[in-house]
Amino acid sequence: VTAGVAMTGVGVLTPLADDLAALGAALRAGRRTITPAAELPDVGEARIADFEATKYANVRGMRLYNRTTRLGICAARLALDDAGLDAAALGEGLGLVLASTYAHLDTLIEYDRGLATVGIQQTNPALMPLAIPSAPGATIALAFGAKAFSITLANDGASGLDALGLGARLVGSGRAAACLVVGAFSPCAELTLSLARAGQLAPADAFRVFDARHRGTALGEAGAAVILERSDHAAARGAVPKGFVRGHASTFAADPGHAERALHRAATTALAAAGVDRDGVALVSAGAGGVPERDRIEARALAALFKETAPVPVAAIKASLGDSVDGAGLLQALVALEALRAGTAPPIAGLEQPAVSGPAYLTTPTPLTGDVALVTATSPLGACAAAVVSLTEAPNR
Amino acid sequence: VKRRVVVTGCGVVTAAGLAVDRFWQALLDGDCFIRPLTGFAHPDLPGLLGAEVDLPPEDRLPENAHRDRCGALALAAARRAIAHAGILEGADRDRIGVTLGVTMGEERQVGDLSERGKTQGLAAVDAGFAARAGNHRLSSSIAATLGLGGPVLLNATACSSGNAAVAWGYELVTSGAADAVLAGGADTLTRLIYCGFHRMSALSKGICRPFDAHRDGVSFGEGAGMLVLEELEHARRRGAIILAEVAGYGLSNDVHHITAPHPEGDGVRRAILQALATTGTPPDAIDYVSAHGTGTPYNDLGEVRALKAVFGARASTLPTSSIKSIIGHTNGAAGAIEAVACTLALVHQAVPPTVNLAEPDPAFGMDFVPGKGRAMRVDTCLNLSAGFGGSNVCTVWRRMTS
Repeated sequence: VTAGVAMTGVGVLTPLADDLAALGAALRAGRRTITPAAELPDVGEARIADFEATKYANVRGMRLYNRTTRLGICAARLALDDAGLDAAALGEGLGLVLASTYAHLDTLIEYDRGLATVGIQQTNPALMPLAIPSAPGATIALAFGAKAFSITLANDGASGLDALGLGARLVGSGRAAACLVVGAFSPCAELTLSLARAGQLAPADAFRVFDARHRGTALGEAGAAVILERSDHAAARGAVPKGFVRGHASTFAADPGHAERALHRAATTALAAAGVDRDGVALVSAGAGGVPERDRIEARALAALFKETAPVPVAAIKASLGDSVDGAGLLQALVALEALRAGTAPPIAGLEQPAVSGPAYLTTPTPLTGDVALVTATSPLGACAAAVVSLTEAPNR
Repeated sequence: VKRRVVVTGCGVVTAAGLAVDRFWQALLDGDCFIRPLTGFAHPDLPGLLGAEVDLPPEDRLPENAHRDRCGALALAAARRAIAHAGILEGADRDRIGVTLGVTMGEERQVGDLSERGKTQGLAAVDAGFAARAGNHRLSSSIAATLGLGGPVLLNATACSSGNAAVAWGYELVTSGAADAVLAGGADTLTRLIYCGFHRMSALSKGICRPFDAHRDGVSFGEGAGMLVLEELEHARRRGAIILAEVAGYGLSNDVHHITAPHPEGDGVRRAILQALATTGTPPDAIDYVSAHGTGTPYNDLGEVRALKAVFGARASTLPTSSIKSIIGHTNGAAGAIEAVACTLALVHQAVPPTVNLAEPDPAFGMDFVPGKGRAMRVDTCLNLSAGFGGSNVCTVWRRMTS
């Protein structure tokens, strides 16, 4: 269903780089950006140093928007520019799907804390509309004139791939000529504290992904955006696709014991939707982020998926960038495309002793053959998602 | 062959009733359930009104009944819809998904943190807060409780979220990603919603009066509505009772203002037109419109203008009503509860009324079905929802005949 949907523009904002080619090069060089968290030095995090939104986008009202929303707006601006797309010229043809579980959260906390402590009259009324979960999406849609639709999906680590899948379906079925798919994340103090107290976050120097020594994740800031267009629409305006969304699927593990099977199901369904055999996958861009049980689930699912094929290289970019939650899935997909284009996959930074044997974890930059990548993601509550992206369009299109 | 989507089960948890039959009769009777609030208060806003759900003990969540109320409402409606559809026995649960819409969702988790934070500061942040504050917990909780393994989506498009969840459920079934989807919405009454609407002068000083000349704002309610959307042949194979067909939907976004609706109803008009066009439904085929009808001066005006732009002169006689006048504006649940009302209108061949309509706005000149429900032929109807920030959804519902 999603074949025929081209990715014609990308935008990334990460602690390592603010363009995809530079990000790919930094990842291949094995760079990582995990440092002790400013407010909680016992755990690691990855922040974008000196992020200044006005460097990327000039949007009315920006000063009121929280950092996550600004990251989303700026990534969207970069993607539109990269696509050479004039949003105004699309009229009612541009849609928006935002992956956002937490983008509103710090504004909500600030506004609600004001109501609790100083009362209604002393609380900034301008914050109220921005404290609603749909607000970050509404502001991005308003900034760029997304008149076809504005949708916000919340599914923690699976949000980004779910947003990519829904955006592809809505574009593929003609609901919009083009769709901005955006994911962004900047952790607020309350989120970091809560996860740290739950034992989910690792110290900066102990942060490892897929490694037997993994002790938890590190939250990372990011903004990621992609423009989806029907292939014929992109071709008609002379746009050169960066890649294609070939398939997507999401599943749920109702019982934690079913998580490995649920992720396996999502991957096989996405591959089937893409018309891609398992041995046609050149690279897996995994969602593993250092939380031991989730890393193990993903490793076992991938080992089972590819047990009868030649080893498929597995990359895990959270090892370098931290877990950007709502931004992660899109980043994984975009980095995978860049790796396919460069012909070299990035290593998993810091990986020395895999906790689960089976998958072909990358520990050095590795040459790739083929043009299809499988992207996988999970949420802590049981949602699983997979997407298939490629440099070329499905052969039957 | 395109996969068709039918409704085989409904569940509601509203101030007007906790069972579909009771809910429907209350709508037709034109009772109003907007009353002085008992379970929620704010010192800056004395005399608050709202439509509260009398949730029985067996539907409450044990850990913290106040803080976890939205989850309890969602789960209660989900259980009712699943039981109504009788779909779980023998089903491949990996082929059943969940789509849920919320406006605020888990905002009470943040309210609870704010209250504890007054004395504890950041020490009030507990290990479970991150997991509780994410709205995806609501949809995940439904899937986990019912053992469902299909796609699970939580969407937030403000007050069109419940209707949007129906649209995504429709997409999952028609695309083959699922054979059935439990689709709906849920929200409860929160401090932020009352305070925010009060500051925007959008909260009614009394009881909301959609489409009335003297309408002055919203009255809020809480609740949840869930529908089992099922692929037609899947439903037939298991001998399910088919209540209605979801023919399709239309989407749009105003791109006008972060809070105010487009004054001409441009976005609503485009959503209706897309819904009609993509389902091959001529405007003349629409028998009833379930309006968003919040009772704010601007929403109702824009919505009426959109309906007149689409339906022309026929708009003046096309039965159009807002059940928000009965159960309040239930935010993310509203579009889903109204979808249940559309389903029941097709089943029972009657439409629910608009109440509190003492003096219909003379500028509108439409049939708002005042006072009591009306028995009439209903073959096709529209469910309209408009959300804060400009997100509009219109779903098309058809009567199923043998």
